[in-house]
Amino acid sequence: MAALRSSSARVFAAASRPAFRPVVAARGMANLADGATQSQQASSEQSPKLKTFQIYRWNPDTPTEKPRMQSYTLDLNKTGPMVLDALVRIKNELDPTLTFRRSCREGICGSCAMNINGTNTLACLCRIPADNSAEMKIYPLPHTYVVKDLVPDLTLFYKQYKSIKPYLQRDTPSPDGKEYRQSKADRKKLDGLYECILCACCSTSCPSYWWNSEEYLGPAILLQSYRWLADSRDERTAERKDALNNSMSLYRCHTILNCTRTCPKGLNPGLAIANIKKELAF
Amino acid sequence: MASVARSSALLKQVAAQQSVAANGLRVAAFHTTSRKSLLPPPPQRIEGTVNDPVEVPPPSPSHGSYHWTFDRVVAAGLIPLTVAPFAAGSLNPTMDAVLAATILIHSHTGFGNIIVDYVPSKRVPKARKVFTWGLNAATVLVGLALYEFETTDVGLTETIKRVWKA
Repeated sequence: MAALRSSSARVFAAASRPAFRPVVAARGMANLADGATQSQQASSEQSPKLKTFQIYRWNPDTPTEKPRMQSYTLDLNKTGPMVLDALVRIKNELDPTLTFRRSCREGICGSCAMNINGTNTLACLCRIPADNSAEMKIYPLPHTYVVKDLVPDLTLFYKQYKSIKPYLQRDTPSPDGKEYRQSKADRKKLDGLYECILCACCSTSCPSYWWNSEEYLGPAILLQSYRWLADSRDERTAERKDALNNSMSLYRCHTILNCTRTCPKGLNPGLAIANIKKELAF
Repeated sequence: MASVARSSALLKQVAAQQSVAANGLRVAAFHTTSRKSLLPPPPQRIEGTVNDPVEVPPPSPSHGSYHWTFDRVVAAGLIPLTVAPFAAGSLNPTMDAVLAATILIHSHTGFGNIIVDYVPSKRVPKARKVFTWGLNAATVLVGLALYEFETTDVGLTETIKRVWKA
């Protein structure tokens, strides 16, 4: 159905376009947009590399309707390399009702976190595998309340982030009245922690967080918690530790390590949680 | 010309789908496996406004860090206790009793962790109480049984030795 629609849309577009106008001018934003590819374009007209994307759809305007998978077929020759490019192209050219979050398209903002082929990742950092023609399945982050289509509700996630006080807490002024200085070794402790963009890929991949998200903080928030525990400039380490020292906030982590496996930035929340546990022990 | 033909085919398909829907044939369910609604997900509840932080629970090390450390110490302690009688080649009833007691504690805290995970007191407080006291009762029962076994029978290690026919 959707495949039919997409191909007919393409045929329509070709029919309505004047013959002399370059093809590039009619392309959407997510297309390969330089004139050098025009010759490739011509060859691709003969052999389109079709790829089908199955995308989770749910519309809050019709809440009784069950969520469904809708498939869209794109020609990869006219699409950028990443899944986000495909999504933007689907939204531009096939179905403007498709809803998803995106912003930076380079793995810095964490908006486009979604479940692609069974793995939580950022759509902008996930390549479309060109070697096989298997369908790609795209879902919102698992075990989240869905706002619409691929948009999860991260309210609780942000509220939990706020609860760990993710800012420098310090009473003593720096000795020279300038910035708080750190040794190189102390600064090095924050590597692998400060890069986290809070995309929620790790937290929503964690079974413990699925069962107990109301009380367990989840890997992303605990990684940030450790980022402030490990900071040599912070002076509220004891309070921060006390806030985690109960049965639910931290200790629902059972070292499943889905978080570390899925992190699209290559960070290691599992190690950070293990370090918190080690610091809290005895 | 081809595009016109294609669009009419599309219209036909749409019409066909609509007639199917009108005839009462349901679209296939989203889930392919059967679902048992044992613990259906509750509607989302956000306490306070979106700008309030989640409430931080009061610190309780006995359920937190002490509990975790105790778990690890017991688990690590079981390894030498299990190996010792076989390595030494002699059976000491006191050591055997200590091993039995440690296994009992280890399984009690282990099952306790499972209950904390899967029977959340926030969602099902009554069931949590039932499960916790059930576990306590089971532990006492097993403790009594092990006591009987240790005092009137051959003991744990000797039993394993006799059963183990490798």
